[in-house]
Amino acid sequence: MKTLIDFDWTVMAPELTIAGMAALLSVIDLFLHPNKDRRFFMWPTLIAIGTAIGFVATQWGKPAYQILADTYRVDDFAFVFKMILLIGTALVAVISYGAFRREKGFAEGEYYYLLLVALLGGMVMTSSGDLITLFVGLELLSIATYILVGMRKRAITSNEAAWKNVVLGGVASAFILYGMSFLYGLTGSTNLFTMKERLGEALTSGYDLYAWLALFLIVFGFGFKVAVAPFHMWVPDVYQGAPTPITAFLAVISKTAAFALMLRVFLTGFLPLFQGGGGTLVDEETGGRLLLTMAGLSMILGTVIALRQQDAKRLLAYSSIAQAGVILVPMATWGPFLFPSTVYYLVGYLFTTLGAFTVLMLIEGDAGDSKLSSFAGLSRRAPLTAGAMALFLLSLAGIPVTVGFFGKFYILMNAIVTGSPEHWAMYLIAGIMLMTTVASYFYYFGIIRMMYFRPPQRREGLRVPVGAMMVIGIAFIATLGLGLMPQWILGILGNLDWGAALSPVK
Amino acid sequence: MSDFAWCIPLFPLLASLLLTMGARRYSDGVASLIASCAVFISAAISIGVLMETLNTVVPTVHHWRWLSFGDQSITVGAEVNQLNALMLVIVSLVSFLVHRYARGYMAGDRRMATFYAYLSLFTFSMLGLVISPNLLQLYVFWELVGVCSFLLIGFWFYKPEAKRAARKAFILTRIGDVGLFIAVILTFWQVGSFEWEAIFAAISANKIPPEMITLIALLIFVGAVGKSGQFPLHSWLPDAMEGPTPVSALIHAATMVAAGAYLVARAFPIFAASDVALGTVAYVGAFTAIFAATIGLVQNDIKRILAWSTVSQLGYMMLALGSSGYVAGIFHLTTHASFKALLFLAAGAIITMLHHEQDIRRMGGLWKSQRRIGWLFLIGCLAITGIPPFSGFFSKEEILTAAWLSGRVDLFLVGVVTAFLTALYIFRLFFLVFMGEERGKIAPSQIPRVMIWPMVLLTIPAIGAGFLAWIPAHGFSDWLTKGTGILAAPQGEAPGWIPLLTLLLSLAGVGVAWLRYGRGAVTIPSQSQSVTGIHHLLSRAYFVDDLYRWGIGKPYRWLSILLSWVDQQIISGIVSGVGALFQAGGRIGSRMQNGQAQTYALVSLLGLVIVIVGLTAGRWFG
Amino acid sequence: MPATSYLALGAILFCIGLYGVLTKRNAVLVLFSIELMLNAANINLVAFSKFGLYANQMGQVFTLFTITIAAAEAAVGIAILFALYRNRNTTHADEFDTMKG
Repeated sequence: MKTLIDFDWTVMAPELTIAGMAALLSVIDLFLHPNKDRRFFMWPTLIAIGTAIGFVATQWGKPAYQILADTYRVDDFAFVFKMILLIGTALVAVISYGAFRREKGFAEGEYYYLLLVALLGGMVMTSSGDLITLFVGLELLSIATYILVGMRKRAITSNEAAWKNVVLGGVASAFILYGMSFLYGLTGSTNLFTMKERLGEALTSGYDLYAWLALFLIVFGFGFKVAVAPFHMWVPDVYQGAPTPITAFLAVISKTAAFALMLRVFLTGFLPLFQGGGGTLVDEETGGRLLLTMAGLSMILGTVIALRQQDAKRLLAYSSIAQAGVILVPMATWGPFLFPSTVYYLVGYLFTTLGAFTVLMLIEGDAGDSKLSSFAGLSRRAPLTAGAMALFLLSLAGIPVTVGFFGKFYILMNAIVTGSPEHWAMYLIAGIMLMTTVASYFYYFGIIRMMYFRPPQRREGLRVPVGAMMVIGIAFIATLGLGLMPQWILGILGNLDWGAALSPVK
Repeated sequence: MSDFAWCIPLFPLLASLLLTMGARRYSDGVASLIASCAVFISAAISIGVLMETLNTVVPTVHHWRWLSFGDQSITVGAEVNQLNALMLVIVSLVSFLVHRYARGYMAGDRRMATFYAYLSLFTFSMLGLVISPNLLQLYVFWELVGVCSFLLIGFWFYKPEAKRAARKAFILTRIGDVGLFIAVILTFWQVGSFEWEAIFAAISANKIPPEMITLIALLIFVGAVGKSGQFPLHSWLPDAMEGPTPVSALIHAATMVAAGAYLVARAFPIFAASDVALGTVAYVGAFTAIFAATIGLVQNDIKRILAWSTVSQLGYMMLALGSSGYVAGIFHLTTHASFKALLFLAAGAIITMLHHEQDIRRMGGLWKSQRRIGWLFLIGCLAITGIPPFSGFFSKEEILTAAWLSGRVDLFLVGVVTAFLTALYIFRLFFLVFMGEERGKIAPSQIPRVMIWPMVLLTIPAIGAGFLAWIPAHGFSDWLTKGTGILAAPQGEAPGWIPLLTLLLSLAGVGVAWLRYGRGAVTIPSQSQSVTGIHHLLSRAYFVDDLYRWGIGKPYRWLSILLSWVDQQIISGIVSGVGALFQAGGRIGSRMQNGQAQTYALVSLLGLVIVIVGLTAGRWFG
Repeated sequence: MPATSYLALGAILFCIGLYGVLTKRNAVLVLFSIELMLNAANINLVAFSKFGLYANQMGQVFTLFTITIAAAEAAVGIAILFALYRNRNTTHADEFDTMKG
């Protein structure tokens, strides 16, 4: 009999570090004088994240390992996603430092440890092979972000965003849980790998309808979490109302974690449904087509509605919906480069989006709103910031020598090689991707035109705090560097053992 | 020297970076000097490379592995072959001259350093495009020149037209770029490589199905259509004249717009493998040539006339390439770059002189006071018209010969008529600007010397480039096709009457233009007869005049107006229609976004139900 | 199979909850309705734990976790509603629509 002590707990070091620091900060917060400025919490937060990054780096490349019957597993898939989440959260923590300088009624203490808790939830989501742990991780992330969105307690928009987030997020969680309950009923297990084996049997013995029902219910919930159409409606409002660093967190970290969850669950537990789980009502392509439809709809709706936006934050929100559609394409087309192309795009998306939101945050602090017209003449007020922003937008638009171009190219390649006359839907999705990319130039270039072709509303330069400047710099280097030398990261991604994530540890 | 070809584009890039970083620190003169020196070095190396290709046979290619893609690896690098070397010289030389010229033209602009930064960035991108040894790298630079063009057209952003033109140019060329991008992906899918050599090898080994070759060639041509302003994606080019004139000369006359023709020439073996693709290129080119030439005659803005002329001449190049006249197309590209740059620079000088007056109805009589500019402009006009010994004559003659030999008589006739129209519109411009009485209110000012000498230098190729065709024993075409396996021109004996016909038609065009506009008797704004003399000569001239007016002039004018209308209403209509469609979609989308969380949940639920029903409905009813 | 009646109860509960979320004007009721949906899933889990294809204890363990999570979610939801009520002085869900478009 194996007792709890017998497990090798050191593999959980990154999570334990984050959890420990979150607990420690919450205790320290209790003992500090209420009026004391708590922004210095950023430093312990960064130390914890740095330590966790160090732990992940030392584990990197080791063979897959699991403890507690797959409820926690470390494999290359988990390493990569954890790395993205950790780096993203660190950057968000840095830009948060300057963000809430003058705000009244802002509770700084909770901010940082809730950020850590949300990160912890995301990390659990990437690194588990069990429905229970996955659900707990998802809720940990979600509930922490509900609070973070409503962090500016006196601002009506912030309250309202939190409200919409909690209602729609709650509904999504209920759908996921309801779907999971059917999955459990069919397979009698919450372990994804056991589920994979038993679901195949359930399909052939006449329970296929329940299996599909479970898939549809879960797709509804996951659709909310990764923000793809038609489950995208909460995104613009919540993104607009949330404090901008949190908007960046939602757009990058929440989305990445949700994609990791989606990949794990669909490629292991639900695999029989995607691989020819035909039945009386549904044929074997339905699962793939469902994802394709969601991807296509997201790209079209996100792009089309973004064209009308006058608010930069809402515009970026709609753009993130379109981007989510793009990220969904490799999973939907199931090509040979499914993992590398998704992860490459997510890495690029991380830096580009964080950079763009950081600039937006500075503009918002300067002008008091996030209207497009607030960007006017930025090239004259802050040439370097404007140049960086232009690069981020070019990358989001997919113009060459940026990471966004190569990411889109890789995904498009992946879609086209899987296409054939029978699988014409792949060509269709590639076509939609190209069309929406062209249409998206209108709004991305709208911002660039504002920055370069409009006289500024005020004369004095834009104040750029050191933290924000560093984040913009890192994002700039990454966006350009990964675009110029994708080999660097593709080499890493190519050497990883993705298959380990899809099979039980031997 | 070819070993260093890869560093040719780097000097302008360096200059551009220097100027961007310290835009405010440099004085105008220093900024101009930095940029010009960088381009000068590039030009010098380019000339060295060109000299070397005269002797070496095999193209030299330098590769660096950029990334691995599955088991394929993608390289970046530089390739030097004859076509490349020629383009390098054209681009860097014209760019250098324009850099110098802009010092005078842009004098007094507060953002001189920024202007030079953009101009150098463009030169970098264009040179990079030219030396790309593979399709992907070419595509990357293809996009970059588009971005630079966008920045430069919109350089005077305080003019609303400039902003609009910049956006229009970007979006319309992007439509073409998407075609090229699909071609790039399809090529990689079929060949497994982006390298030109590998692609050509796969084609000659019949590894690609013919329909696929046709598709790829047509998609590449879509890219070329966008960039080279061919019908129906042409309308951005005349609008692009809102940019500063040096930009128009460099980007929208000599280099970037010729990139489309260059691309077709570069990918020529792909086109040669598909008759459908070649035919499409030829017919689109021919139609664009005549279509743009007719519109050129009813325009009144000096730069827009030249822009329409560029569209028309690019159509000529496409016509040549589509008629298998590989050498003819490249030859015309070369000569056109020199004389069109000359015309634009001279036009820029006139505009500067008249304090930014661009309407030719308010010019006139400049010959008396501005003899020097007049001569320069006249040389450009003679070159484009095709009067020997000016360069345009030789290249145009080769194009018409190629069209004749390819056996498409209709294309040949279109080419011939366009030659006549070309002479007509360009000399209408010349006579209205330089002859007759001075209709302008403003006294011309002097222009600085820094603007004169680039033009003087450009007259050398504008006059002399044509003699490349006279190098003994087909020296030029042999050199250009050496080692490429491309046929220089369609097989057959060129009839000797073609040059004569070209010359006669061109002279006729000039003559008609003289009778109509040149004698100074007609004032254009009112179109009224101001001279009612009974002098014998004049009455005879009137006869011609009437004939012109009723026989050619009126129908021709109606046709031109009709075509302009088509251009403005239908083509722009389609473009704005697509925009309106997106707008409408967006309106519906944002109306659903009513701010209520409950509506959002409902929409999502209904969305899921609709998607599920849509995906499974076939099963239920089938 | 006796599971059917439990599943039917779960389904009815889930639909009532969903209906409540979509239609109730009072924001507190909206939060309660979400709880109903979560509890529907819990009933399912417990039922499957006894009558599923592979009956075992796992479902009940899962339920313990979800009950806790549901409580946390409700607490956060109510807290956010408090903040909103303090600023807007209303609990009518349809009035929370300052951001749209």
